[in-house]
Amino acid sequence: MAVNVRASARKLWQTAASINTGVVLLILVVIFSAAGTIVLQRPNTEPDEMLTAYSPHALRILDATGLTDVFHAWWFLTLMILVSFSIIAASIERFPNSWRYFSRPYKYPDESFRRVLHPQKSLAIADEETGLVAAERALHSFGFKPERVVREDHFGIFAERHRISEMAVYIVHASLLLIFFGAIVDGVWGWRGTLNLNEGETSSAVELRDGSTRNLPFAIRCDQAGQENYKDGTPKKWWSKLAVVRDQRDVEKKEIVVNDPLVYGGVRFYQSSFGPNGKVDELTIAATPSGGTGEKREISLRVNDTVPLDADTTVRFAEFIPDYAVRDGQVYRKSNQLENPAAHLVVSSKSAGKDFDVWFPPMEDVADNSKAPYQLEATDLKMGHFTGLQVSHEPGQWAVWAGVVLLGIGLAFVFYVVHTRFWAVPVRDAKTGKYTLWIGGSANRNRDAFAERVNDLVGLVEEKLRTIPETARSERVATGVGK
Amino acid sequence: MARAKAERQQPTTGMTLIVLVGLAIAFLLFMAFLNVVKSGNLLSETNLLFAALIFYAGAGALYLGFGVTGTESYVKFASLATWLGLIANTAAVAHRWYEAGHPPFASVYEMLLSFVWTLAVLTLVAEKKYGVKVIGTVTMPVAIVGVVLMQLLRTDVHPLVPALQSTWLHVHVTLAMLAYAACALSFALAMMFLIQDEMKTETFLAVTSASTLAIYASVVLTRFEKWGGLSLVAWNPEQKSEVFLSKGVRLFVTIPDLGWLMVLALLVVASPLVFYGLARWKKKKDDGFLTLANRAVFISILLQVMALVMFLVRASDGRYPSLDADGLFSTSLAASPFILSGLVGGVFISLLYLLLLWRRPDLERLLPSADNLDRITYKTIGIAFPLLTLMIAAGAYWANQTWGSYWSWDPKETWAAITWLVYAGYLHMRVTRGWRGRRAAYFAILGFAVVMFTFFGVTYLLPGLHAYA
Repeated sequence: MAVNVRASARKLWQTAASINTGVVLLILVVIFSAAGTIVLQRPNTEPDEMLTAYSPHALRILDATGLTDVFHAWWFLTLMILVSFSIIAASIERFPNSWRYFSRPYKYPDESFRRVLHPQKSLAIADEETGLVAAERALHSFGFKPERVVREDHFGIFAERHRISEMAVYIVHASLLLIFFGAIVDGVWGWRGTLNLNEGETSSAVELRDGSTRNLPFAIRCDQAGQENYKDGTPKKWWSKLAVVRDQRDVEKKEIVVNDPLVYGGVRFYQSSFGPNGKVDELTIAATPSGGTGEKREISLRVNDTVPLDADTTVRFAEFIPDYAVRDGQVYRKSNQLENPAAHLVVSSKSAGKDFDVWFPPMEDVADNSKAPYQLEATDLKMGHFTGLQVSHEPGQWAVWAGVVLLGIGLAFVFYVVHTRFWAVPVRDAKTGKYTLWIGGSANRNRDAFAERVNDLVGLVEEKLRTIPETARSERVATGVGK
Repeated sequence: MARAKAERQQPTTGMTLIVLVGLAIAFLLFMAFLNVVKSGNLLSETNLLFAALIFYAGAGALYLGFGVTGTESYVKFASLATWLGLIANTAAVAHRWYEAGHPPFASVYEMLLSFVWTLAVLTLVAEKKYGVKVIGTVTMPVAIVGVVLMQLLRTDVHPLVPALQSTWLHVHVTLAMLAYAACALSFALAMMFLIQDEMKTETFLAVTSASTLAIYASVVLTRFEKWGGLSLVAWNPEQKSEVFLSKGVRLFVTIPDLGWLMVLALLVVASPLVFYGLARWKKKKDDGFLTLANRAVFISILLQVMALVMFLVRASDGRYPSLDADGLFSTSLAASPFILSGLVGGVFISLLYLLLLWRRPDLERLLPSADNLDRITYKTIGIAFPLLTLMIAAGAYWANQTWGSYWSWDPKETWAAITWLVYAGYLHMRVTRGWRGRRAAYFAILGFAVVMFTFFGVTYLLPGLHAYA
């Protein structure tokens, strides 16, 4: 039984590591991702839009299968985990072989290897040492660092470059896993939301995507926000001056613009929108006493401010309605869009014991503009603005970026760094007793261009052979190596 | 039969076409010059683009002439014309860049400008470096369609909205253009490989017919209206923009009778496929049906040209009723870039098939060997894949800077990832399974199809954040 379990586990592992499984998984990812771009997706599409697009029955089926939110469905996550597992299994399964290849380079080609290797060439040489020296020099001028390989009964020359290229594919796979890891960390511990702040407002409550609220351990205050336009009126730049408030103290300040967020405590604040908040910042009025004798006065009011006009009279800014309508002698708020604004002020006279409703614009049925002891005129209206901030916390993004950088490096190695190896071995013909120098080379990609390189090398060795004989012999005498 | 007849024809003597194309270019330049004298502005962007169009058209004609006759001297003049077109195109890009103050990647118009430029450069590179001389036959018509589309789109310099003001945007788009151009090249090379790999001409017939059928079927299925009309998006010529009924809902006008013409074209375009099917079904060595099929292709080209001309004439002029609103509205070719590209593409694919049918031995002689093409295809993908990776990474980094999220599964993002996966599949199959030759070529073709969908399909068919491009 135990053997059975082990055998089936082994089988499962091999299945996971096989390229077929990988390809099937990739095809599944492709199909489901494509489905996720064709079917309208839940969080981004409004519910009523979904209802107009699909029949209730179809929508129920789509919702039940998770097709309306493919990228957050459990089965898509499972698929991604299976892909990761397959990459890990395939890498582990193939790694030992590659590692052996990498850590113990094949330096001396034996006879069977010499027979089948392509490209290769043999040159006639006077003796072993001449051949070896010529090969060494040729490789040197080729930019390689040749190495003499000495075994008990034979020796040769070995040179290689960019052995790391053999491991490049593992770098690529590891980087993909790193990216997945970062994405999973973000998926589990990360969150995204929005924070809309009026100028001067402080808040620590971020509204998350699903409608819930998250309270930050610090608060953000918007001191000022603004917009710059191009000549044609399209927005050029949005900016907000933000301050981080912690324990009643400003701990950090920054003016953010689109593409340049504020980062504090692992939370990032992005400028995403800007606009009027439908609230009035300041209303400026000019007041003249109704008798026509007094001076004209300019007064600035915020909502709910009360300002004395003289000893007997005060004016209060009671209400601002961004979009009003009048019906049956009543003023209604139609919407919060700044479409059709109205301001309501109350002028109170203590001696008359009476309040006068002053409206801008003056509405006939409702307003007492002309009856009031002061004639008011609206001269300026400053609207308040809000800044829309995207807030996100992505603790895994460093893994993602590290993975991306590693991926770039890995791919550069995979495609553009070639592991090249050259061998040169003096061979003695058993019958004639004459020596030839066997030269061979191998490259792990771009083999056709490499064949040319081997030819070049052979040409170079021939050239060196022609110039060497004397020096080589003298060296041999000096080192005492020979037959 | 047709092939035998074609082989008996004497190849046209070399100079005729060159002289004709030269005269045409000279004539058009003269006309353009008159226009310049009238407006008094020599180096405007429109003039530069017009010059580029003239040269690319001349180059296209010469490359095509080379493809048909195999006369070597055409190529020299064709690449000269391409060079001249490229110079004009570069000047237009530079002018645009200077005028706008940012690299020309911010709108569809600017992207097309850069795309055509990249295409012309790659054509010259492929020709000079790899000796793939016929590549101009494919790329130049694409460049011409690109420049023509540009004339239709709105050209005023648009200031960049805040989200687009980032260096990463330029990096992202430049990488995308390079990657897509490399993918396009690998596709063209894979097709040439299939020719060299002695794939049967009939198979190309079936593919040609199926592609044109798909084009007309999608036009008819989505745009055919009751009583034989063809509905097109309404266009406001003053604002150079589409007409919207409400936010996101476009107004469609119906051009009467054009729908019937499209249905007729659909039927004729389908006929070669039917004859091919019959030929396969009978299995006997009976060339009768295949001859019929080839004739049907010829007739279908005539009908396609007719449909295209009628479409051009009626869409660019006149006012038409709409089903959704009272009154008459105008439309424009710019309002239907996909139908236009589809119709031009259909004619073009069919013409390429005829070229293959009549001149296959010459083509085989002119193209590099199958082995070489296979290898160059792989190399091109070896360039395209890292570029795709970097493009996605740069896009993710930019998105993180702008929206606070490096990946939001927006359709364009998702399809970019799918493209990446398809090419990753290609590389794995090639390296671990040793897929060479035909299967690898099919994979390269599939990859490019996905690229095209990502580039065009997603923008116009699926909603998302990439509203800018």
